[in-house]
Amino acid sequence: MNSLAVKTEGLTKVYKDFWKRKSVSALTNLNLEIKHGEIFGLLGPNGSGKTTTVKLLLGFLHPTRGKSWLLDEPSGHVKTKNKIGFLPEESYLYKFLTAEEILDFYGKLFNLSRKERQKRIDELIHIVGLHPYRKRLLSKYSKGMLRRIGLAQAIINDPELIILDEPTSGLDPLGRREIKELIRTLNQQGKTILLSSHLLSDVQSICNRIAILNNGVLQVTGKVNELLSRSDVTEFLVKNLSDSDLESVKEFIRGKNGEVISMHPHLSTLEELFVNIIQHRK
Amino acid sequence: MILTLAIHTVREAIRKKIPHILISLGAIVLAISPFISTTHEPDALPKIMLTVFFQAVALLCVTGIILFSAVSLPHDIENKTIFSILSKPVSQFKFVAGRTLGFALLAAFILVALGLVNIISVFFASAHLPPEHRGIFKARKEFGAHHFHIQGKIHHEKEGIRWVMGGREGIAIWHFSHLHEKAKNIPPFEVELRLKLDSSRNVADTIPLSIGIEGIQSKENKTELVSAKADETVTLGIPPEIIRKNNDIKITVFPTLTADYIGTAHNTIKVFSIQKGFVFNYAKALAITFLKFLLIIAIAVMGSAYLSAFVSILSAFAVFLCGHLLDFIKDFSLLLHHSGAHEHGLPGMIKKPSGFMIYMDYFFKKPLEWISFILPDFKKFDILSYLLKGIDIPIETIGFSAGYTVLYVAICTLISYILLKKREFF
Ligand SMILES: Nc1ncnc2c1ncn2[C@@H]1O[C@H](COP(=O)(O)OP(=O)(O)OP(=O)(O)O)[C@@H](O)[C@H]1O
Ligand SMILES: [Mg+2]
Repeated sequence: MNSLAVKTEGLTKVYKDFWKRKSVSALTNLNLEIKHGEIFGLLGPNGSGKTTTVKLLLGFLHPTRGKSWLLDEPSGHVKTKNKIGFLPEESYLYKFLTAEEILDFYGKLFNLSRKERQKRIDELIHIVGLHPYRKRLLSKYSKGMLRRIGLAQAIINDPELIILDEPTSGLDPLGRREIKELIRTLNQQGKTILLSSHLLSDVQSICNRIAILNNGVLQVTGKVNELLSRSDVTEFLVKNLSDSDLESVKEFIRGKNGEVISMHPHLSTLEELFVNIIQHRK
Repeated sequence: MILTLAIHTVREAIRKKIPHILISLGAIVLAISPFISTTHEPDALPKIMLTVFFQAVALLCVTGIILFSAVSLPHDIENKTIFSILSKPVSQFKFVAGRTLGFALLAAFILVALGLVNIISVFFASAHLPPEHRGIFKARKEFGAHHFHIQGKIHHEKEGIRWVMGGREGIAIWHFSHLHEKAKNIPPFEVELRLKLDSSRNVADTIPLSIGIEGIQSKENKTELVSAKADETVTLGIPPEIIRKNNDIKITVFPTLTADYIGTAHNTIKVFSIQKGFVFNYAKALAITFLKFLLIIAIAVMGSAYLSAFVSILSAFAVFLCGHLLDFIKDFSLLLHHSGAHEHGLPGMIKKPSGFMIYMDYFFKKPLEWISFILPDFKKFDILSYLLKGIDIPIETIGFSAGYTVLYVAICTLISYILLKKREFF
């Protein structure tokens, strides 16, 4: 059998209320296979079943039908969790601890030695950019800071598989870029990453493969560049050409029976502008 | 791992200032206790202090611990902080066990802190007590007589009391056996007499008694003359050299004057060995109180594994109260049983049980019987009377309550684990 990082078979979840009457079909018959070393994006609008999928994978919820495996062990297997990192949708952390203390606590739950913990904590606090606030209580953290510490705790055990539920939510553009870079770095170290998001640009820029959910039903799954590429359209981005040069390029294309769909001065994105300004201030 | 979770729990409590609040409240109650008006017995004050601690302060602590332990798990689930634990390699069992251990550590800490305050103030309050009123500071082990008879004449017998006239007309003799097993580490022994006294003399303030203590094995004996007052217990030390050589002793008592009488019975005289002393006994009492706390914690955690915070607080309190009222519940279910049995005495016509009785049986008696079977019986943890009488808490009592608690906690933790395992976290 081929080893897979994540596998689901007909995974279905129907939420029932206490009296088992009203029910919501949050996820219907999901079949997914994520290979080792992929960055997999789970996309979908609000309420499409992304978080439900993640909770089923981790064994917090019991499926109504179907099965799922993480690293070839059934969901909920305790030992496998040594090799898994998880960032929940919101940062549900113990607010009465400081950043250092909470990382130390989670490190202990992974049975890391004191030395290892010390080293990991220093590293991680730097990676997520919280070193000025490492002794501050989490109850005094801002939302984005909580998100960052959440991310740090998700990778404290140097996991093989990292499951991130909307990792960039609540982060400023700089933070988003940093997190995206972090995810890429982790992936280069050979880690498999499953992330859910509805921020399409984030997903597009980092994921190898995606699945799109709507109303709990899988709509499409595949490689990002395959899903997006159109073989009959080509995009140019050129610099330092005069207007007359551009006209002659247009002429040349028409001469080859091509069609120019659009041609306009390039706008840099607001994100680029924002990042430029903030980074220059530092 | 369990310890990590336990320390985490304790830290949570400390950061939320729970021990601070409980210890200061407890200290306030202890500080008020000397002002409770009491009888004028010299040792009333230390006794009140002990009572207040083991009743009121313990109740206060139990309340605090129930509040905290019943709330903590539902909060974890509500605030979804449980995700960050269960996504780590922590089984539900370790989670429950860690939490329970954490609450236990917390309870132990609070108990010891308040216990120290209590014991120190008890020592202060009784610093100036004369020796004969320092009974509570002993931790004695009681020996009853295994044989009792009157040698010579019984003057008369009334209501089970045998009266003996003085001047060797009759001599009351008690035998005590198996006072100690090994020859080493023999504690001091004393004998306590609660005789009834009477006299035909006109002015009889005190009655002179001759008390003999004789070793059965070595035949050594020692006689003492004591003047006894009516209604006062006489306490005599038993000479160590007699105890050292004898496992069994004989105690003889008679009034020296022919005009005096003593009333005796099997249990008039008791022998006590003086064990390690008050502090050790107090520590044992604290330990048993702690076991009681542990039991309630396990129940509160079990409730909170399935119920919401509010409901689990209520149910833990309910169990606590019912545990204390268990005797009442038992009596009540017996009562129902009795009224049912009554019908058999009635003539055949009405012998057929009425619908009402069947109803009572199924809706009250059966559930009550079950409840009294399932509920913890806190009567087994009642140690205050030992302390107040200065009697050593028997090691069997500790063993029994420890075994009881361990069994109970194991079952509760197992149930909590199963409940959590079955549970979904939304
Ligand atoms: N505990 C619950 N009880 C009943 N229905 C629920 C519960 N949790 C989620 N749902 C429903 O299940 C569906 C999927 O929810 P889910 O949280 O998985 O969506 P999502 O894709 O993560 O959305 P978002 O982008 O807003 O985070 C929604 O219709 C939601 O209302
Ligand atoms: Mg979601």
